[in-house]
Amino acid sequence: MARNTPEKREQRRQRAAEALKERQAAERRRKMLTIGGVVAALVAIVAIIFGITQAMDTTGETPDNVPSVAEDPAADAEGDAVPGKLDGYGILVGDPEAARTVTIYEDLQCPACANLEAELGDEISEAIDAGEIQVDYRLLSFLDRASTNDYSSRALNALLVVLDTAGIDAFRAFHDDLYANQPAEGGPGFDDDELIERAVEAGAEESEIRADIEDKVYEQWIKNATDQMSKDGVNSTPTIRIDGEDADPQQLAELLQQ
Amino acid sequence: MKDWIGLLARLVTGGVWLVAGALKLPDPASSVRAVRAYDLLPEAIVPTVGHLLPVVEVVIGLCLVVGLLVRPMSVLSALLFVAFIVGIASAWARGLQIDCGCFGGGGYDADATSKYPWEIARDVGLLALSLWLVVRPRSRWALDSLLFGPREDIATDPRPTDADSTDPDSNDADTGPVLTHAERNHDGPEHS
Repeated sequence: MARNTPEKREQRRQRAAEALKERQAAERRRKMLTIGGVVAALVAIVAIIFGITQAMDTTGETPDNVPSVAEDPAADAEGDAVPGKLDGYGILVGDPEAARTVTIYEDLQCPACANLEAELGDEISEAIDAGEIQVDYRLLSFLDRASTNDYSSRALNALLVVLDTAGIDAFRAFHDDLYANQPAEGGPGFDDDELIERAVEAGAEESEIRADIEDKVYEQWIKNATDQMSKDGVNSTPTIRIDGEDADPQQLAELLQQ
Repeated sequence: MKDWIGLLARLVTGGVWLVAGALKLPDPASSVRAVRAYDLLPEAIVPTVGHLLPVVEVVIGLCLVVGLLVRPMSVLSALLFVAFIVGIASAWARGLQIDCGCFGGGGYDADATSKYPWEIARDVGLLALSLWLVVRPRSRWALDSLLFGPREDIATDPRPTDADSTDPDSNDADTGPVLTHAERNHDGPEHS
């Protein structure tokens, strides 16, 4: 047939090839648009959640409440009470002129800290009272996930409230009591009422502490103290330093023997 | 069969990312400390990395589980596993005693030294699964198949189309060297 010349066939082939190219180009455009849309959506999701986590982490924000050390009534009367003061995140207990300074990083939920206190707590107290050492307690909280009711940070808040309202002796008594009766990991720690009860036994006034314990007034200060520990290169509790040098419990025990 | 292996690789790797990220999301401050404990990154970027990592993990995990952008997500996943393996190996080599922080937590761990080999082995296994998906991203029940069709690259896919049959000349009996429909469908219309 005359229609089916080689030229016609060639035209037809070209048309078919062009149509295919167009289809392929359209398909590629659709694919790129889809990928672009999905990537944009994912980037948006990451940005939003990232923004939320950044907002959730208040680390480093200025705390509304900073604890202080209440004047010890015994210091006025007899003048021989153990001195204590707050220096940054360190709670300094004992004679500032003491020959050695022992720094102890502790979490109130940490079982290894409770072991250290059980083994050396009495000797530490005696050495403080004898003016041989000054202890720089760095209390912090990173073990909230070890209890079902954020015991670690609530207990530390309560301890700081006692320090702030009742002074260093009550702080020491409450600190030792919390370690001697440390709640096991995995369950609920003491609730606020029990913390208040124990704080009162240690020498605090319920009327002065209840609101601050229930409101967790030092929460931000505790977060910052915990972050500072991490920045100090301390990844564990208890971490002991003697005159600024890392030490193990054995070295502390030897120091206390002297 | 290989499509099923791909599905398994996606679910295992994606599932691990999802869990690891989700456990870290509620406590960003802890995630920052876990990153800092490795002592590898400058302090200026530690908080950003600590905040971003759990989010990225969750998104990679979700995408792998549902099969979205499987190849690029697997590349990211493999790169992250390489970074984690390097980080853990480096902590081990420097004698650091830290929890890897892989599933939240972080910081000191007295048993760290005995855990490092196992953690590295786990990450190597997950790296292998990620690499499988990089090489062969196609798998069963993937969202990618819905969005982009069953084939990886549409440009090399000579699927039959309507255009040929609407061509008035295509039914000519005397087609000479022009291929029949059946052959076109098989070999592509540009075949001569």
